[in-house]
Amino acid sequence: MVVTFPHMGNIYLAVKALFDDLDIDYIIPPPNTKASLQKGSFYSPEEICLPFKLFMGNIIQAIESGADTVLITGSCGPCRFGEYSELASIVLREMGHDLDFIVLDLSKDVGVDGFLRRISKITRDVPMSRTQKVRTVLNAAALMAKIDQLEARAHILAGYEKNAGDCKRILHQALARGLECVGSEEIGEAISAAQNEIERIPIDLEKDPLRVAIIGEIYTVIEPFSNLYIEDLFMDYGVCVKRHMTPSWWLRDLVMKPLKLNSLDLRRSSREYLPLYIGGHGRECVGEAVKAWQEGMDGAIQILPMGCMPEIVAKAILPQIQNDKDFPILTLIVDEMTGREGYITRIEAFLDMLKKRRERYRGGSFSTGILSGINSKRHGYNRSVRKKYGEM
Amino acid sequence: MFVQKGYSLGIDVGSVSTNLVLVDDSGNLHYKLYLRTGGRPIEALIEGLGQLSENLLPGDRITAVGTTGSGRRLAGAMVNADVVKNEITAHAAAASAVAPDVKTIIEIGGQDSKIIFLQEGVPCDFAMNTVCAAGTGSFIDRQAARLGIPIAEFGSYALRSDSPVRIAGRCAVFAESDMIHKQQTGHSVEDIIAGLCEALVRNYLNNLAKGKRILEPVLFQGGVAANVGIAAAFERLLGVSLIIPKYFDVMGAYGAALLAHEAVVANGGTSKFAGLDCIKQDFSARSIDCNGCANMCEVVCIYSGNKKLASWGDRCGKHGKQ
Repeated sequence: MVVTFPHMGNIYLAVKALFDDLDIDYIIPPPNTKASLQKGSFYSPEEICLPFKLFMGNIIQAIESGADTVLITGSCGPCRFGEYSELASIVLREMGHDLDFIVLDLSKDVGVDGFLRRISKITRDVPMSRTQKVRTVLNAAALMAKIDQLEARAHILAGYEKNAGDCKRILHQALARGLECVGSEEIGEAISAAQNEIERIPIDLEKDPLRVAIIGEIYTVIEPFSNLYIEDLFMDYGVCVKRHMTPSWWLRDLVMKPLKLNSLDLRRSSREYLPLYIGGHGRECVGEAVKAWQEGMDGAIQILPMGCMPEIVAKAILPQIQNDKDFPILTLIVDEMTGREGYITRIEAFLDMLKKRRERYRGGSFSTGILSGINSKRHGYNRSVRKKYGEM
Repeated sequence: MFVQKGYSLGIDVGSVSTNLVLVDDSGNLHYKLYLRTGGRPIEALIEGLGQLSENLLPGDRITAVGTTGSGRRLAGAMVNADVVKNEITAHAAAASAVAPDVKTIIEIGGQDSKIIFLQEGVPCDFAMNTVCAAGTGSFIDRQAARLGIPIAEFGSYALRSDSPVRIAGRCAVFAESDMIHKQQTGHSVEDIIAGLCEALVRNYLNNLAKGKRILEPVLFQGGVAANVGIAAAFERLLGVSLIIPKYFDVMGAYGAALLAHEAVVANGGTSKFAGLDCIKQDFSARSIDCNGCANMCEVVCIYSGNKKLASWGDRCGKHGKQ
């Protein structure tokens, strides 16, 4: 049995750590590129959303290198993601591949027994006690959280770095080093080293970088290829980026869901505009927008794949938030095209606009209300960066 | 700070037209040039700069250069511009210089259309057409050619119509087949053109202005503003009167010139401009598929002879280093 799994951001590192620790054969598909997109979209229905096309590309490339078992997450959820595993298995069977599909689904939908039965397909031959296996899974989850922390830190410090490119370099080097390591311990050490390194880069606290929240559909915000590397672009621009959706957020949300304790903060912040779950992460997107405003961010960018129903609902609500809170939100719709120029034009114009707004608020003509709110929050934010460095 | 007769040069290399303007330091437009890009931005820009230098007096100097439009990086690398700005910011800067109290800007160009909202001269929201080129200049161009009507007269046909026909404006392909159908059933060319203008305006408003409030004063700029039929359709559907700036067709270049002037003043007054003699160089653009890693970036390099001026498109940045 050789297991493979589709890409989504840096998840491959945590899954690699898990399979290394369990001593299971696996193949990590090559990172998403034009080639994988071409392969994937050739075998996908034309109107399906972008994540499916990339997902197919990953699986097909992994099969070419010898994978025979596909591990994916599933959902009976009310968006097209629920269809992915079925559709993929049918298409791949028709292509003549004999594959085992292991669909990890919510225990709510398939029952605890079903969930364990599906997992045991992979783990039954592993000579470990059940406790050991559970510990391994927890280690991998902890590693994922660590990677997400490093990434989030790099995206914020990129706005303050004195030597342009430090944060981006450290982040990408750490991820590349992680791929060469074996097991959660080694990968964890590589990430820890990068965490230490990134806290020691020279930073300029006098800089007052723009701060933008990335919100929207979970796959397209997390997988950099699908959003044309928007976060790398912002690191180059020296703009701080905050993204609420991460693989570890998703895991936490999944675990807490049966207890109804998942994403309480987003439920609270979305209540005014969308008080119910509409499938996908539509409600979360609205909640993130409001939360970004509460945190005093300069603006938010929503990213969604063309045709994503939950995000289209959220997209229709965002202009209302924009008006009510005087909080700029830009929507970018991604699909198969790889030409970045159109996106860069919009993103640059959006950043110019945010800069101009700040100048106007600072100019004093809008000295009450909004200004004081933004400034106090911004200072609070700077303080948190400073505290970390013991300079205040 | 500026010597007498110092001008800021604004260059807008768009998909359809390449525009150049000279602006004096009090913001007056001194010279403008509107050329067809014809898919060859390098040649168009060289041609434009050549014409421009013939029109300069011996004492004139260029003290700042800004580029904009979809070919802004290419143009910026060729002339070594002080400012390379996206067209949304450039159009907003130009519009608020022309009409400081402007609240809404409607801009329709060759391949894209945008709407910009401003509060007290500062852009507060914008939208740009995303998936479809219906309603932009190229489509109107094509239909004019198909009907055998010179593009300059296209709009006036619409004004002569009494009862515009209904044409689906959602998609350029649907619109065209709808138009052919209406033609074959015997509607007059005037009614069809008027119907098309309305359809395109509906498409624009539904796509870009969705859920937004259009406040006056409204400026209409970009090449399509020359089309009186479209302008009339906007006024009818919005119930507002449009202001069409005098230099509506070169507003992007005008904005780039203003932004360049501002940037040069802020930087101490010296421009990086390569000089008008730069057109004597042998410019070429080469694109390569980098095989350095799995990303396989498409990298574009701009050369002058054998010297690499600039490159972009790579994720890692190794091609950007000279």
